[in-house]
Amino acid sequence: MHDRREVIARLLRVLAAGALLPALPAPLGAAAERADPQDAAEAGALGYGRDPNLLAPSVPWPLLLDAKLRPTVARLADLMLPADERSPSASALGVPEFIDEWISAPYPQQAEDRRLILDGLRQLDLAAGGSFATVDESAAVALLDQLCEPGGCRDPLAARFVACFRRICLIGYYTTPAGVAELGYVGYQPAAHFEGPPPQVLRRLGV
Amino acid sequence: MSAEPFDVVVIGSGAAGGTAAYALTRRGARVCLLEAGRDYDPSAETPMFARNADAPLRGASTPDKFFGYYDATVGGGWDVPGEPYSAAPGTEFRWWRARMLGGRTNHWGRVTLRYAAHDFKAASIDGLGADWPFDYREFSPWYDRAERLIGVIGRNDGLDDAPDSPPGILQPPPVPRSHERLIVAAGRKLGRPVVANRAAVLTRPIDGRAACIYATPCLRGCSIRANFQSTTVLLPAARATGRLHTLTGAMASEIALDREGRATGVHYVDTATGAHRFVAARAVMLGASAMESVRLLLNSGGSRFPGGIGADSGALGRYVMDSVGSNLWAQFPQMENLPPFNDDGIWFPHVYIPWWGLAEQRAGRLDFPRGYHIELYGGRMEPAADTFDLLDEVAPGRYGKSLKQAARRYYGSFVRLSQRGEPVALARNRVEIDPRGSDRFGIPTLRFDVRWSEHELKQTAHAQKSMAEFIVAAGGRVLGDPRQDPARAILSPGRVIHEVGGARAGSSPKESVTNSYGRVWAVPNLYVIDGAVFPSSAHKNPTLTIVGFAWRASEHLAEHLGRA
Repeated sequence: MHDRREVIARLLRVLAAGALLPALPAPLGAAAERADPQDAAEAGALGYGRDPNLLAPSVPWPLLLDAKLRPTVARLADLMLPADERSPSASALGVPEFIDEWISAPYPQQAEDRRLILDGLRQLDLAAGGSFATVDESAAVALLDQLCEPGGCRDPLAARFVACFRRICLIGYYTTPAGVAELGYVGYQPAAHFEGPPPQVLRRLGV
Repeated sequence: MSAEPFDVVVIGSGAAGGTAAYALTRRGARVCLLEAGRDYDPSAETPMFARNADAPLRGASTPDKFFGYYDATVGGGWDVPGEPYSAAPGTEFRWWRARMLGGRTNHWGRVTLRYAAHDFKAASIDGLGADWPFDYREFSPWYDRAERLIGVIGRNDGLDDAPDSPPGILQPPPVPRSHERLIVAAGRKLGRPVVANRAAVLTRPIDGRAACIYATPCLRGCSIRANFQSTTVLLPAARATGRLHTLTGAMASEIALDREGRATGVHYVDTATGAHRFVAARAVMLGASAMESVRLLLNSGGSRFPGGIGADSGALGRYVMDSVGSNLWAQFPQMENLPPFNDDGIWFPHVYIPWWGLAEQRAGRLDFPRGYHIELYGGRMEPAADTFDLLDEVAPGRYGKSLKQAARRYYGSFVRLSQRGEPVALARNRVEIDPRGSDRFGIPTLRFDVRWSEHELKQTAHAQKSMAEFIVAAGGRVLGDPRQDPARAILSPGRVIHEVGGARAGSSPKESVTNSYGRVWAVPNLYVIDGAVFPSSAHKNPTLTIVGFAWRASEHLAEHLGRA
């Protein structure tokens, strides 16, 4: 186990060096050229096609996230969307599994996200001297404060990594029944009439 | 199959072909309907009430399903595997296709606006493009019929740009949603109209079809037949006559002509086996979708009509149009942290902003010749993969509990305004056969050469400014820069999926491919009945006009067949 202050110092040093990502051995963007077994798996994977069964949806592509990165994903997802007094944490709602589904999908947007996410996760682990999942809370918070702060990363790829990870987390969290309920979406109720917004909402809208 | 004595072969089963099948079989004609895609049964296949939580990628847009996993489109998209198209260097055209019974009517946005008198005669007013070969008075009975058949909600507002329907046709529209009320109030402030949308959905049951139940998105189709799809309204009625024979998986490749130059039937490819087949008939109607119909004309004619049937007019493949589109996003502070309530409604916009600038345009005070309307999307819809795409714009850099607070606060407060405008028909905007292209059936493919002109760019600059004015007047904030270069704001041709023209109707064979009934000048028993015949394309979504035109053409042909 690494000394806490040492870990924070290393994470911040990496950021202060102007680049979280290129400071480390496998620079982002090189992923495409790398002989990565995950990219090889991608080459043969198929999407759901132009005529999938809409009544029985399923994910046909293999999941690519390796066992070592799973705790890293869960840790970062729970830092993004932790449990609070209103709703559970990202990992309690299956967000890490959704991130795996997303980055494993054989579509151009997801393939681009995959390279960004996998490289970012690996380098977080390297900077943490093992696994980011074992970094203590204050080190993780110090890192996230800087990573998420607009303009906080001098490396634009690090900023893109965190924005991308956050975007996928939001999708994975707020499309679940619990996430939908937390947002206050109460549609999908068949009705004979559309009543429109209730009086208290109209008052709030000022119309 | 060629032994069957068909009166008419209809190519395509969407708004145009479905209407022809409906109208012709009712008049006693025996119809063979060719559809390139597969059979499709909305009552059994529509994923109503399915939730994003259960869809791959939570229903996010992919190249397989651009409009989301549950979108009704089968076998299609911006590209169809094995059926390529190309664009001239320096141009871009996006061509949305479906390969299913009912075509794109299964998925469309159902905005159903009538052309006004000036829309049919725009060239006479501003000298650009060509008039339609009939006027509003002559065509409006077909709008009446079409609206009665498909079912349209809306109100008669007496606006110069949106003609009233006769009493008793339009069904009551639903009250506006929350974000729409802000835009209605902004319209009052600005002195501009914001009125009930006209949309092809029922709020009262007719013809055994149920009324809308105000739940689940219409782009998936509708198993209770509350909205208009060819497969829920036109084709079941045509089938019930016993005179409709449907061939799915039948990709038309060429219209066959005899030595006198009359159509004898259609060559097609069985898409399952690749076998080449032929179906004979006394007449042929082309409703394959505007660009597919033009492609068939270009690929037919042999030595009798070099360059394609109708090429001698000089109009074949030319005057291709799409609606002018651009978007502007808004965020409304009044809509933050609202208590839970159901704002689903009919899925389509309940209100829209009709074109208000006609008088100004006539007085020469605007620097663009044709109008536009504005549609509204967004608000408190079912959370989906794109719900928080704009969260970073209003709450940058969040994580942890503050990210969750931001999600709760801003959910439902984003609204998109969309310009839908009229382009000017130009001869230079064309499709032709790509000398190097053919599809997986060996059929030569299309190359598009369509570019916006200064007319569309100036209109878009005006629309971006107007949309920003509406947003600000409604108390919202504009996301992005509305004064951005219109060349960047405008969507590429084809993106609005209102592509029309290429075989325009007219009053002279010297400048048009068909007469006012869609009858090809050079081949009297061949009709073009879809968007290909549009000489101009008002800012109003084309489907209602396609249904009216196809119905009118079918009645004309039925008279001609002598089976009235």
